Amino acid sequence: MQRHEVTLTVNGRTSTVSVEPRKLLVDVLREDLGLSGAHIGCEHGVCGTCTVLRDGRSIRSCTTFAVQVDGAEIRTVEGLADGAELHPLQDEFWDKQGLQCGFCTPGMLMRACEIVEQKPDVSREEVREGIASNLCRCTGYQFITDAVCAAAARMHSGSSETSGAQA
Amino acid sequence: MKPPPFQYAAPTSVAEAVELLAAHADDDARTLAGGQSLVPLMNFRLAQPGYLVDLGRIEELTRIRTDGDTLVIGAMVRQSDAEHAPEVALRAPLLAEALGYVAHPPVRNSGTVGGSIAHADPAAELPAVALALDAELVVVGPQGTRTVRAADFFVGPFATAIEAGEILTEVRFPRRDGGQSFVEFARTHGNFALVGVASVIETDGATIARASIAMSGVAPVPVRATAAEETLAGSAPDDASIRAAVDAAVAGLSPSGDAHGSAETRTDIARSYLRRGIELALTRAQDRR
Amino acid sequence: MTTTDRPAAPPVRTHKEDRTWVGRSIRRVEDPKFLRGRGGYIGDMTVPGMLYAAVLRSPHAHAVIAGIDVVEALAAPGVHAVITGEQAAELCDPLPDFGPNPAAHTWRCLAVDKVRYVGEGVAVVVADSRYLAEDALALIEVEYEPLPAVVDPERALEDGAPLVHDDLGSNCAYERTFDFGDVERDFAEADVIVTDRLRWHRSGGQPLETVGAVADFDHATGALTVHTNSLSFTSYLFMVAGTMKIPANKLDIRPVPAGGSFGSKLFATKPAVIAGMCSRQVGRPVQYLEDRVDNMSNCDHHGSDRVYDVRLAVMRDGTIRGVDIDTVEDYGAYIQFGVGHHGNALAQVVGPYAMTSVRYRVRAALTNKNQQGAYRGFGSEVNNWMLEQMVDKAARELDLDPVELRRRNFIREFPHFIPTGNVYDSGDYDAVLDKALELSEYKRWRIEQAKAREEGRCIGIGLITAQERSVFSATEFWFWFDEPGAPVTSMPESVTLKVDATGGITATLYSCAFWGNSPETMVAQLVAEEFDCDPHDVSIVYQGSKNGLPATGPGGSRTTVMLAGAVEGATAKIKAKALRAAAHLLEANPDDLEWVDGGYQVKGVPEQRKSLADIAVMLHLFKHSFPEDMESGLEDSKVFDHPYTTMPSADRTDLGVFYPFMGHACHVPVVEVDLETGSVSFLAYAAVHDCGTLVNPRSLAGHIVGGTAQGIGTALYEEFVYDDDGQLLTSSFLDYLIPSAMEVPELRIAHHETPSPYTLHGIKGGGEGGRMMAPAAINVAVNDALAHLGVRVTELPITPDRLRAAIRAAESARGRE
Ligand SMILES: Cc1cc2nc3c(=O)[nH]c(=O)nc-3n(C[C@H](O)[C@H](O)[C@H](O)COP(=O)(O)OP(=O)(O)OC[C@H]3O[C@@H](n4cnc5c(N)ncnc54)[C@H](O)[C@@H]3O)c2cc1C
Ligand code: FES
Ligand code: FES
Repeated sequence: MQRHEVTLTVNGRTSTVSVEPRKLLVDVLREDLGLSGAHIGCEHGVCGTCTVLRDGRSIRSCTTFAVQVDGAEIRTVEGLADGAELHPLQDEFWDKQGLQCGFCTPGMLMRACEIVEQKPDVSREEVREGIASNLCRCTGYQFITDAVCAAAARMHSGSSETSGAQA
Repeated sequence: MKPPPFQYAAPTSVAEAVELLAAHADDDARTLAGGQSLVPLMNFRLAQPGYLVDLGRIEELTRIRTDGDTLVIGAMVRQSDAEHAPEVALRAPLLAEALGYVAHPPVRNSGTVGGSIAHADPAAELPAVALALDAELVVVGPQGTRTVRAADFFVGPFATAIEAGEILTEVRFPRRDGGQSFVEFARTHGNFALVGVASVIETDGATIARASIAMSGVAPVPVRATAAEETLAGSAPDDASIRAAVDAAVAGLSPSGDAHGSAETRTDIARSYLRRGIELALTRAQDRR
Repeated sequence: MTTTDRPAAPPVRTHKEDRTWVGRSIRRVEDPKFLRGRGGYIGDMTVPGMLYAAVLRSPHAHAVIAGIDVVEALAAPGVHAVITGEQAAELCDPLPDFGPNPAAHTWRCLAVDKVRYVGEGVAVVVADSRYLAEDALALIEVEYEPLPAVVDPERALEDGAPLVHDDLGSNCAYERTFDFGDVERDFAEADVIVTDRLRWHRSGGQPLETVGAVADFDHATGALTVHTNSLSFTSYLFMVAGTMKIPANKLDIRPVPAGGSFGSKLFATKPAVIAGMCSRQVGRPVQYLEDRVDNMSNCDHHGSDRVYDVRLAVMRDGTIRGVDIDTVEDYGAYIQFGVGHHGNALAQVVGPYAMTSVRYRVRAALTNKNQQGAYRGFGSEVNNWMLEQMVDKAARELDLDPVELRRRNFIREFPHFIPTGNVYDSGDYDAVLDKALELSEYKRWRIEQAKAREEGRCIGIGLITAQERSVFSATEFWFWFDEPGAPVTSMPESVTLKVDATGGITATLYSCAFWGNSPETMVAQLVAEEFDCDPHDVSIVYQGSKNGLPATGPGGSRTTVMLAGAVEGATAKIKAKALRAAAHLLEANPDDLEWVDGGYQVKGVPEQRKSLADIAVMLHLFKHSFPEDMESGLEDSKVFDHPYTTMPSADRTDLGVFYPFMGHACHVPVVEVDLETGSVSFLAYAAVHDCGTLVNPRSLAGHIVGGTAQGIGTALYEEFVYDDDGQLLTSSFLDYLIPSAMEVPELRIAHHETPSPYTLHGIKGGGEGGRMMAPAAINVAVNDALAHLGVRVTELPITPDRLRAAIRAAESARGRE
C-alpha cells in the first residue's frame, strides 16, 4: 500500500511519520505519536471525544485523514498544561467536577480552549451552545459549563493566579 | 470502523485535479473536500473509493469574492469561514444564517460549502439555500467549464448534475434584495434537520413583490415551494396571505417518513416552519425598508 | 411471614457528629490523569506484539448460517486468524448466563448455526491492525438463509410466532405472578380502579467509550491475563474462566478505568472472551475493542423494553391501597441477567406510598433483537415511571391535587417493610417534597402556567416523588424460582489498607472498577476521616482478580456504602494493632489511650502521644521492641458483606430484605410543548435528593445532573428502533440521539440528608438517581401541559412523532364532538 510522509507540528513539536493515506488523524496521534489523549468514541464525527485543534480551530480527528493535515499545527490535550501547572481550564474542570469518567474530557477541553480563545468574554449561554458540539454522557454538562465559565473569567481577567493546584 | 484503503493525491490546481480524476476513473476516483460526509461514510465502509483527489491544497478554490452583484464562493471555502465572512453577511445573509445550523463548529471548521452542495443530502441546509437564492454552480471537467442553475443541479438524494470526472469549483449567489431567513426543525442541536425552510421575500410598499422559498427534508431533493411563492407574490404582507401560502405549499408535499418522523409529522412540521420562515423573512424585509 | 418473625435487622448505629472529610466537595483524586489525557483506558493500552480483532456482524435479524467461507479472508494481508462461530464453540463454552434455563437459550460469543439479531457476531478476524482486520471482514463470505423475524414482544408470545430459540419451544423465557398482601381485598374495597396501558421503549447506557479487552494467553503457564474496562462482578470471574475452559486460578482479570458504563459494563463478558479466545489461538496479545456500531447493535446491554397493563386501587379520599402490575418485557434474543430487572423493581414497587398489596405478573419475551443488560436503574426507573403515571392519572380521575395525593400516601414510619418484604430503612418524604416545592418555585409556575394557557401556550409541571433503592444483594436474581439453580447470598466488597513506615496510607481496591463514579475519592475521604490525614495523600491501587479478595464492584448504587463498610472494618483492625503498639511504646494501658488527630495519646495528657507515623515506623522496623506475638507491618483487610440481607420465604409471599438503603427524590421539571411540532423544551428543572449522609456533595450532584441528562434522553430522544424485519434503524449517533448541552437544562439541585441507621456515617447509595426520576417526571410534565386538550402520552420516548400523533388524535376527537 502506498505510504505518505506527513509532517505535523503537534503541541509545538514537529514530527514526520510515514502513513497509509487512509490512516485517520486520531490514530496517527494515538499510535504513531503516542498521544492517547484524543479518544475514539464514535468514528463518525458526532461525539467529539477526538476533538483537537488544527491551526487554532477545533476539528474531529476521527473524520480527518492525517494526509489532509500535512504541514498543519495541531494542539491536543497533552499540550495544555505547562509542566506541573495545569491550564486554567484543566484546573477549573477539576475544581468544579467538570468530569466523571473523563472520556469526553480531552475533546471537551480542546473545544473549550477554542471557545475561550475566540471570545474571552464568552457568556454562559454561549458556552453551553459552544460545547453542544461535544457529547458527555456523564456530567449533564452543568459543571462543565461552570468550569469553562470560571476558566474564561480567570483567563480574561488576565490573572495568572491558579487555585494553587498542581497535579 | 476504519476506512478502506485508497490511493491519494493532493493537487494544487483545478486542472491537475481534473486530470487526476480522469486518470484514475477506473479506480472509482472521487474528490475529497472537507471529508465531513465522505470520511464517516468510509469509516462505515459505505463508500469505498479507490482513489481520492484531495482538493484541500487548491488555493484558488478557497476564495470568497464578488463579481459585480454576484457573491462567489469557492467550493473549498470552509463552512465556518463562509459563516463569519462579512461579504456573506452583507450579500447573502440567508447563507450565513443557514450555515449556523450545519452540524457543529468543529465539523464546519473542516466541512466546505462546495462539499455540502456536491454531497446533496436531502436534509442539508446549503442545497436549499442555493435553490432559494437561484445560485449557479460552476463545474469544471475534462470538457471545460459549465454553469448549472441550482434548479437543475439536484437530481436525487445524494445525486447532482456533476458528472464523473467533474469538480464543483464555485457557487455563485446572485444578489437578492428583501428579507431573508433560514429556519429549521432538528431533534437535537446541530443534527440534521427534519425540515428546513429558506425564504427570500421582497416587498414593494404594501404588497409582497417576490418570494423565493426552498425546503429541505420534505422530498428526495430540496424543493422550491412554488405554490407558496405564487400565492405570496402580489398579496398583502399579512397573516391571511401567509396562511394561504403555507396551505398551498403543504398541499403539494408528500414527504417520506423515517425513524424520526412519519410523513404526517414531517408535513405538520413543514407547515409550522414554513409559516415561521415566511414571517421572519417578511419582518426582515419590512425592517429593511 | 409477619413482621414479628423477620430476621433481626442490623444494630442501629450512632453516627459521628463532627466529620472532617465526609461531607466535603473535595476535588476528586481520580481526575488529574484524565485532565491530562493520560487516563489509561483500554484503548490506550499497547503491549508488544499486540494484534487487533474485529467481529463480523450479522446483517439479518434471523437467519440460518448455511455456510461460511473464510479462505480469502485468511489470505488477506496481515491476517493471523479467522475464527467462525462454529470454531469458537469448540474453543469456548457458552458465556456466563444468570438467566432461567440457559440450556434452552444458549448464548455464545459468536453465533452458531443461526443468527438471532442484526449485529450478532458470526466470525472474528485477528490482524496486525484494526484496519487490516476490517479489510478481511469484508472478504468473509457467509451464506444466510433468512427466517421470519419476531420483533414485537406481545406478538412473540402468541402461538405460531417464529421461534427465537427452537430448544425453548416458545418465546416465553419466564412467566410468574406474585401476590404480596391481600390484593383481592384491596381491589374489591377500592372506590376507584385506575387502569392504564403504558409502553417504555428501549434505550441504553451508550457510554462514550465502548467495551474492550486486551488479552494475553501464556502457553508456557496456561495463564490468561485480561485487562478490561468491564467485568465488575469480580466474585463471578470464575465463570469467565469456565467459558474460556481454563482453571479459575489461571485467569487474572485486571481492571482499567472505564470511559463510562451506566451499568453497560457491569458484566460484559463477551469482548473479554473474544479477546482471550483469539490470544490463545494466535499465541500473542490481542485487543478487541468494540466500535460504536458493535456497541449499539451487539453489546448485550440495551435497557428495559416493557409493556405494562396496570390497575391501581384507590379510595375516594386519595388513599392508594394496592397495585396490580402485568408486564411483558422484551429481552431480545438472550436473557443473561434473567428477570433481575424486575426483582429490582420489586425492591421499591410501591414507591414512597403506604400501599398494602401488590400483584406482579411478569412475562419475559425473547425476540430478534440485541439482548438486554443493565442500564442505570436496572428496571426500577421503569417502575418509577409506571407508578408515577398511575398516581398522576388517579389524581386527575379523582380530581385531587397531584401533590396532595402523593403526600397523603407517604410512608412516615421507618424502618418500613413494603408488601414484597423489602425494607425502607429511613426517609423523610415530606421534608424532601417541601424543599422541592420551594426550590422549584412550584406555586409561581402554576401561575405562569395559567397565564401561558391564556396565550395558547402549553406549559406543564411534572412533580414526582419516587424511590432510589441502593446497595443490592443477590437474592433479587433468584427469588423468582422455587428451586433456584444458584441461590447466592454473598455480595461482598473488600479493601486493604496499608500504613507504610512513614505513616503514608495506601488503599487497595479489589476490582472495584472506576467508570466515572468516584471510588478512589470516596475511599480517600473515608480513610482521611478515619485517620485524620489529607485525602489527597491517600494512595489508591487496584488489584486484579487473581490476587484479589472477594468483591462485587459497582452496580445497584452500592459502591460507596460497601467501600465505607470495608474501610471501616480494615481501619478497626489497623487501629487495634496501632493502639496496642502505642500503649506498649507509651507504657500505658490501652484503655487509657484515645485516638486524637492522627495518633494515640494518653487521655488528658496530650504530650504523651504517638502519631500514626511514629507507630508505623516502629511496627515496620522494630519488631523486637514489641511483644512476641506482634507481627511486623501495619496492614489489614476487610471483606465486608452486605450488611442487611434476609432470605425470602419458601412460598415467596415475602421476598425478604434485598435492597434496604432507600433513597428518595422529588423532581420538578417545567416543560413547554410546541403543539405544532410535538417538541418539548425545558423552562426549569429542580431536583431534591435524599441519599442519606453525603460523602462528596458535588459528586452526588454531578450524578444527579448526569443521570437526569440520561433520563431526558430516555424520555425524549433515545430509542433503539427496530423495524418490522428486525433491522436496527438507529445504529449511529446521528440517529440514536444523545442529548447535548442544548437539550439539557440547568438544574437546581438540593440535598436532604436522612442518615441510614445501618451504615457507616448513615451513607446510602446515589449513583443512579437522576435517571430513576427524570423519565417519570418529564412524562408527567408533558401530560400536565396537554391535559386540557385531552392529550395523554403513555409511551416513551416522547418523540415529535408520538406527540404529534397524540395531538392529531385529540384534535380529530374534538372535531367529531
Ligand atoms: C456530526 C455531523 C453532523 C452533520 N450535520 C450536518 C447538518 O446538520 N447539515 C448538513 O448540511 N450537513 C451536516 N453534516 C455534513 C457536513 O456539512 C459536511 O461537511 C458536508 O456535507 C460535506 O462537505 P465536505 O466538505 O466535508 O465534503 P466531503 O465529505 O469531502 O465530500 C462529500 C461528497 O461530495 C463530493 N465533493 C466534495 N467536494 C466536491 C467538489 N468540489 N466537487 C465535486 N464533488 C465534491 C465528495 O466526492 C463526496 O462525495 C454533518 C456532518 C457530521 C460529521
Ligand atoms: S470519535 Fe470523533 S467525533 Fe466521535
Ligand atoms: S465525563 Fe464521562 S463522558 Fe464526559
